[in-house]
Amino acid sequence: MRVFGLNWRIIRALLSSQYAHMLEYRAEIALWALSGVLPFIMLSLWSGSAARAELGLDGVALDRYFLSAFLVRQFSVVWVVYAFEEDALLGRLSPYLIQPLHPLWRYVAGHLGEQLTRLPFAALIAALFFVIQPQAFWVPSLGGFVLAWIATWMAFAIAFLLQSLIASLCFWSEKATALERLLFLPFLFFSGLLAPLTAFPPAVRAWVQWTPFPYLIDFPARVLSGDPVNLAAGFAAQLGWVLLLLPLVLLLWRAGVRRYSAMGA
Amino acid sequence: MRDVSFAIAPGEMVGFLGANGAGKTTTLKMLCGLIHPSAGEVLVAGHRPQRRHPDFLRRITLVMGQKQQLIWDLPPMDSLRVNAAVYGIPDRVASRRIAELSDLLELGEELTRPVRKLSLGQRMKAELLAALLHEPEVLFLDEPTLGLDVNAQMRVRQFLADYNRRTGATVLLTSHYMADITALCPRVMLIHQGQLFHDGALDRLASRLAPERHVRLELEQPAPAEAFTGLGQLDRLENCEVNLRVDPAALTSVVAQILERFEVRDLEVNDPPIDQLIGELFRQGSL
Amino acid sequence: MGRYWRTLRRFWGTALATQLEYQANALIELLAVSFSLGGSLLLLSLFFGPGRELGGWSWNQALMVQGFYTVFDGMSSTWLRPNLGSIVTHVREGTLDFVLLKPIDSQFWVSLRTFTPAGLSEVALGLGLAGWGAHQSGVVFTPAVLITVLVMLMVGGVILYSLWFLIAATSIWFVKTWNATEVLRALLASGRYPIEAYPAPLRLLFTLVLPVAFLTTVPAEVLLGRVSLPLLALGMVLATGFFTAARAFWMFALRHYTSASS
Repeated sequence: MRVFGLNWRIIRALLSSQYAHMLEYRAEIALWALSGVLPFIMLSLWSGSAARAELGLDGVALDRYFLSAFLVRQFSVVWVVYAFEEDALLGRLSPYLIQPLHPLWRYVAGHLGEQLTRLPFAALIAALFFVIQPQAFWVPSLGGFVLAWIATWMAFAIAFLLQSLIASLCFWSEKATALERLLFLPFLFFSGLLAPLTAFPPAVRAWVQWTPFPYLIDFPARVLSGDPVNLAAGFAAQLGWVLLLLPLVLLLWRAGVRRYSAMGA
Repeated sequence: MRDVSFAIAPGEMVGFLGANGAGKTTTLKMLCGLIHPSAGEVLVAGHRPQRRHPDFLRRITLVMGQKQQLIWDLPPMDSLRVNAAVYGIPDRVASRRIAELSDLLELGEELTRPVRKLSLGQRMKAELLAALLHEPEVLFLDEPTLGLDVNAQMRVRQFLADYNRRTGATVLLTSHYMADITALCPRVMLIHQGQLFHDGALDRLASRLAPERHVRLELEQPAPAEAFTGLGQLDRLENCEVNLRVDPAALTSVVAQILERFEVRDLEVNDPPIDQLIGELFRQGSL
Repeated sequence: MGRYWRTLRRFWGTALATQLEYQANALIELLAVSFSLGGSLLLLSLFFGPGRELGGWSWNQALMVQGFYTVFDGMSSTWLRPNLGSIVTHVREGTLDFVLLKPIDSQFWVSLRTFTPAGLSEVALGLGLAGWGAHQSGVVFTPAVLITVLVMLMVGGVILYSLWFLIAATSIWFVKTWNATEVLRALLASGRYPIEAYPAPLRLLFTLVLPVAFLTTVPAEVLLGRVSLPLLALGMVLATGFFTAARAFWMFALRHYTSASS
């Protein structure tokens, strides 16, 4: 039986081949993991600043928040637009398009394989963090961990769909990746990667909560670090964004493929 | 590469043959100074290439069929202007040379269209123009016709022959296409397993590789294999079709004997085609 | 020397022409730059409030640091990223051979081959922001101060270029690890804030090992007139050292490149 064109055999084959592929690039992926140190730099700033009292996150809680933000980011990084653009430019796309499997699944599998490759490096950085800040060490409850895991994957799903939306524009525009920058900037500032959302003025916060960004880092990070957070509202928002973006992506993709095949490129 | 030594006179056109990985490109790169020889000495146009002295670099050029130096998004003309500045060619001189070379290469408005919109053949011709703008005395060409259609291959070949005649430039060329070598290079070097296997004319290479001649027979009646003992090496025997390899010295007597012994419907004597010979050599991997 | 000037003019002429092929990109870049600056200022403002400072820096003084960071960020996207990012492409596609066979210095070629004019707007915005912050902090722009700032900005530029170049040059060995420059960029982001705002170990790291301090904090301190001569001298020594190291490393990398028989 196939659901969305997938069955267990396809899933297993896709995941294992993509994992093997990503292992080949482990040095590169290790560097990517290392380039995610921004939350730690921000943590060192916030810890020493007079403004930390405003955050509502005290002492150890702030350490845990930024470590969680780092980890959530590690496992929700999305690069589908770059991979897709390269495939489109190099003409690798056409064979994918005639296969009885939606090409986006291939990229999903690629991302999951990359996350698995990243796991040891991210764990190493986290371990190093605990060596430097032993008082921040904590083990989330099993329930909390599972919830954080789900929240992180939902964050990944939203980020993936957002970027796929831009990737679909590759069918029309030669350089859709430039648009990705415009999406990345609000993500950077409003996701909670650089500052917990509680740091922002209430007006900004009220506005930002209607965007997908807080559900990409801030919400999952708070679940993981065990901060008090409205679980129902957070998950509902995540689900809402997925349900909103999914049909959009599929529609735009289909229109793009139609255009692509009409051009005979 | 071991024990490869040769000298090339100014104005010669020399073709390099060899299997993939035999050391053709390495030799070429060594000659233009991109790879240092681990031992031995290379002297090109009076310079040691590996120093890549500017005076030396001004006198050579390298064209690689599978790599391009032209700026992808811009017309070739922009790349040509960059090269003119890099080689310190005054604008007036550069314009004159571009006009001359584009005439020879049959390039016109292609020079003002973005490179990404040019066909492979047009692009290669523009690459040649860019590589020759500074009037180099020594041309290193690595697979200059790779991937081109037969027409474009011929055009490029024609141009190289003309250029060599007009300027007296030395040309060293590697190619997968035997036609390039046979058309352009009176002298051929075959590099095999890092060693110089042959250095000389192409037909002499053929006779070295395959001393025998090929005799093809069509008989009226099928004959058993034993009937051909003593005539030559039997390659094929199918009903009335027979292929034999024969020592050239014995050819006349063998043909006479065949005509005597069998009823022959058709008889043909051939030199084996050179590219087939070389292909066989590379497949065998050893001599 | 004249030949190098003429070549540079041609390099940038073609770069400009390339950009004109993609005008929409420039527009997006402009939009991104303004977004980015707006976001950075918002983020910076979070650290301040009535009577609050960041590492002993007032809001207006911190604006100068942020301004200089923007200048260098603009410099990276105008100059460093497009050029040094292409070293890895040259290695991967084998076109470095063409560069090495040109009768011109190869480091000159790979460092200055192109530029992205869209990033210049960021440089201008950064200078404007730094100037505004300085003005609000009551800085008096004497010629001596301006010259010193200019010199220190150049010192910062040389340090940034050399660090970036050192990392980019490793792609001669490890074609795949070009995203080491991404790590560098992530660490450079620490230069958005005054160095005094960081804990002591990081301060040491950002002064001596990865001298981000000399890019943003030191020029701002020059404007504020509270920088000591030895620190300026240290900056120049570091800049010279890093540049020499970058040059030597490039020569070493090329020797490796040309001795590997491929």
